[in-house]
Amino acid sequence: MDHRTKIFPLYFLLSLFIATPAHAASILGGEWEKYLTERVSFSGFFDNTTGLSIGAGDRHFHTTNRFIMNRFTFQPELNVDVVEKLKLFISWRFVKEPRYNAEARSRRKTVAPKPVEPLDNTFYDEDSFKPWEMVWDYNPTGSLSIRLGRQFISWGETDGLRLLDVINSADLTFAPSLAPNLFDTDETRIPSWGVRALYTVAPVTNSILEFFALPGFDEAKQRVDEVLGSNDTADGRVVYGRWSSHPETRMPFGRMFTNGLAGRSTIIPVVSRILPDAGDNWKIGSRITHNIGKLNFGLGYIWGYNPQGGDMVFKLRSISPGPPTTTIANIQLINDRTSIFAGHFNYAVDEVVGIPFNTAIRGEVAFYPSEPYNISKYPGNAFRAGPHPRHPDGITEKNTLRYSLGFDRSTLIPFLQEDPYRAFRMSFQIFQRIILDHEDGIRAFSTANKIKMVSTNFTFRVGTGYFGDTILPDVFLFYDPTGYWAANPAVTYAPSWNEKIKITLTAAIYWGRDKFSFPGLLDEKDSIFLKMRYQF
Amino acid sequence: MKSIINGQWSIVALMNMLALLFGLALLLWQPLQVKAADADLKPGDTIGPSNWQRIQGMVGENFLNRVKAGHTIQIKEPKINRPLKEYVEATEKYSGQVRLGPNGELLNYVAGQPFPKIDPKDPQIGQKLAWNFFWRWLGDDYKTGGAVEGGKILRTAIEKGGSERRADLVSYFIFPRTRYTLNPKPAIPGYEHIDFMQLRIDSYPRDSSGTTSLEIRYGDPKRSDDLYLYIPSIRRIRRVTTTQRCQTLAPSEFNLDDINSFNGKITDFDYKFLGEKKILANLTQEKFPFNRKPGDYLPLDEKWQVVDTYTLEITPKDPDYCYSKKILHLNKVTYDTHWTLMWDKKGEYYKEQFGFFTPVKLSDGREVWSVGTVVITNVQNGRTTLVTANRAYNQGYPPSLWSLATLQQIMRGGSIE
Repeated sequence: MDHRTKIFPLYFLLSLFIATPAHAASILGGEWEKYLTERVSFSGFFDNTTGLSIGAGDRHFHTTNRFIMNRFTFQPELNVDVVEKLKLFISWRFVKEPRYNAEARSRRKTVAPKPVEPLDNTFYDEDSFKPWEMVWDYNPTGSLSIRLGRQFISWGETDGLRLLDVINSADLTFAPSLAPNLFDTDETRIPSWGVRALYTVAPVTNSILEFFALPGFDEAKQRVDEVLGSNDTADGRVVYGRWSSHPETRMPFGRMFTNGLAGRSTIIPVVSRILPDAGDNWKIGSRITHNIGKLNFGLGYIWGYNPQGGDMVFKLRSISPGPPTTTIANIQLINDRTSIFAGHFNYAVDEVVGIPFNTAIRGEVAFYPSEPYNISKYPGNAFRAGPHPRHPDGITEKNTLRYSLGFDRSTLIPFLQEDPYRAFRMSFQIFQRIILDHEDGIRAFSTANKIKMVSTNFTFRVGTGYFGDTILPDVFLFYDPTGYWAANPAVTYAPSWNEKIKITLTAAIYWGRDKFSFPGLLDEKDSIFLKMRYQF
Repeated sequence: MKSIINGQWSIVALMNMLALLFGLALLLWQPLQVKAADADLKPGDTIGPSNWQRIQGMVGENFLNRVKAGHTIQIKEPKINRPLKEYVEATEKYSGQVRLGPNGELLNYVAGQPFPKIDPKDPQIGQKLAWNFFWRWLGDDYKTGGAVEGGKILRTAIEKGGSERRADLVSYFIFPRTRYTLNPKPAIPGYEHIDFMQLRIDSYPRDSSGTTSLEIRYGDPKRSDDLYLYIPSIRRIRRVTTTQRCQTLAPSEFNLDDINSFNGKITDFDYKFLGEKKILANLTQEKFPFNRKPGDYLPLDEKWQVVDTYTLEITPKDPDYCYSKKILHLNKVTYDTHWTLMWDKKGEYYKEQFGFFTPVKLSDGREVWSVGTVVITNVQNGRTTLVTANRAYNQGYPPSLWSLATLQQIMRGGSIE
């Protein structure tokens, strides 16, 4: 489709929305006017996000001005109270990144020989009229509600990171990692077609049964991961996305799957990715939540295709001779089916032994039975990691426990405020992953770095408002005790003369002792962003 | 003045001179009148910069200063609201058994007004007035915003310089243990331990639309409120503590305890009856929201009436509380508050709040009353918040509306009914 043709519908829709409100009701007549006024509401936003790289860039990205993002988003949203017990919500998302044309040209000039290529000019654009969200809410009784359509289902309690919130996948191609102040999860999560039902057994104790089923009708989006290994190279192309890491982080990982054929010890990995068909793409889950006193908790189960990027593994399918002295390792990137036993709780603690604590404690736990990991053995050939003799396909399965514990409180810090009673909202979180029956050699598929039995991360977030909440600072910090940091400071200006406008200045900053690990691989991707939004 | 220039004293010039002399005399006489508000205000009287003394003590200090500076108000015929028959019957049936516990808690309360007989000499009168206020008639349930065109609460935050921001929201209350009209009565089985539940949904502007809070107030005086918050940007429910009740609900000037004038736990405060007083109020607000100049909170076309009130001083038991005292002026009949005055921890005048009321109809046609527009002004930072929040009572909502399942169904900008 011609580029102009593609964005024409956007212009058409824009002009329709701009022209419609003044006349539609009177044309349609009194009854329709009443219906539209009382039962239909229209809202949405225009958004522009501009990003500048403050890092050095890399050999694949030599635009002179380090102008890394210019993203226009238009999202109209429509609510219709069709009848008393039936509601409809539809939103569309249109995205245009005109700046990306320049980047693609730049990459084409500077990038190394094929198969390395820039992304398509329109990779980040979204111009489909397929609804972004479209849900029918049906409430046949006060206790039962059914939501049908393309929707978000978010379980969990965490802030900034996702642990149980794995039912919908997230689009990690356009947004920088660990920067919830730039794009929140509502902007990065991808809705799925399906059905969700909630049945309230006892409202006074919040005893609620929940069931969802998502057939997985949506097409998959091409990955543009941070590291080479994630790319699908079987088609002869290697594509680097906006957040593709510095080239030295792209390591030869093929040798971890095979020592090669005789006399062919150099391993060339050829990666393919076969996405599951609709039958494998199903996700089904159920949960019950309940209150006991001040404790609110839930227990649930999710079964199905796991779309989370971090949970993928490479699987060695075959080896074949390549050019002289080389062996081609045909490796497939797979998302396995997953079972997740899920739990969450939250509890408000007013005081501890008579001392005011004023903190909400919340937690999540996810138990993955037989979660697949890539594994290698050290030393292999030439004192480097090589294939594991007990795992010929390069995969081992381990029971894995992930959990988070969060502490939220609002604190008055009068000497830092012009309004002494405008609170600072603080959130501190601990995330841990424990691989039970851990074996040496378990590695992350993406960086091939070793994963220890226990991995720990911490986050801290603080936000407040000044001058009647016209100035809203917020800082998100991520810390990995093995030597990695990320910071996402932001300040938002919400003018006192117009509630529709918001302007946010934010930065995504990363530190890491090792560029082969996350988020160290983003160390040279530090960026600042200006986000301007007009809501209507 | 032309006649003076001409050296001749016309009648007009003579009148001007007399008015000037009268004004000077009035200025000299003023100090005597400082604490003597005019209780004999009559319908049709106009109060402005020349006679502001007549309403001194009957309105907040900041409002009075605006009258001194030029704002004028008119007095109208008083409207007296009468309690609903069912509420009176419940009061007659149950009030005889109600007692105060050792910590000021309410014992044996079922429904109605806990203490219908008020004796100024009663040493516990303050505490009793506080409970009468807490258990005033507010319907069995209500939707705030339900009686305004568009069905939304309209909230406007006005900065000191006059710039404004609007927000729309809607809230739903239920009083599951004090039901007068709707079945089951007097309590919904299983909910006898809950005083009220509130569901509040933001609908405008877009980024906050869908933000929903569920607040539950328990009868147990030792149990703090439960508060859950659905945040659309993460599409998850978060637990929030409610013990930090002083935090400003920015950009408004309200805090958690300012909602409905006083929303604190009754047993967390001490109470002192300061006497009876006539104040100015408006029980028949005409326009929603009322007419005003952009950037200013003063109602332009609304008239005021004289109302008999009890004056109740509230002081916190917690020395770190944000207010050193709060004074409510409770309507003697309905126990609604018309003026609420607040002082900060240093004892300096901090905020003042007035609420207009308006008649509304129940589904059976009977007339009751609802709050109309509430105005809170922070006199220290000059910011004001207006909330137009008419109520539609006795909608018959199922209690399941106030559950976490509801929070999980909220869409951007969507309603829940």
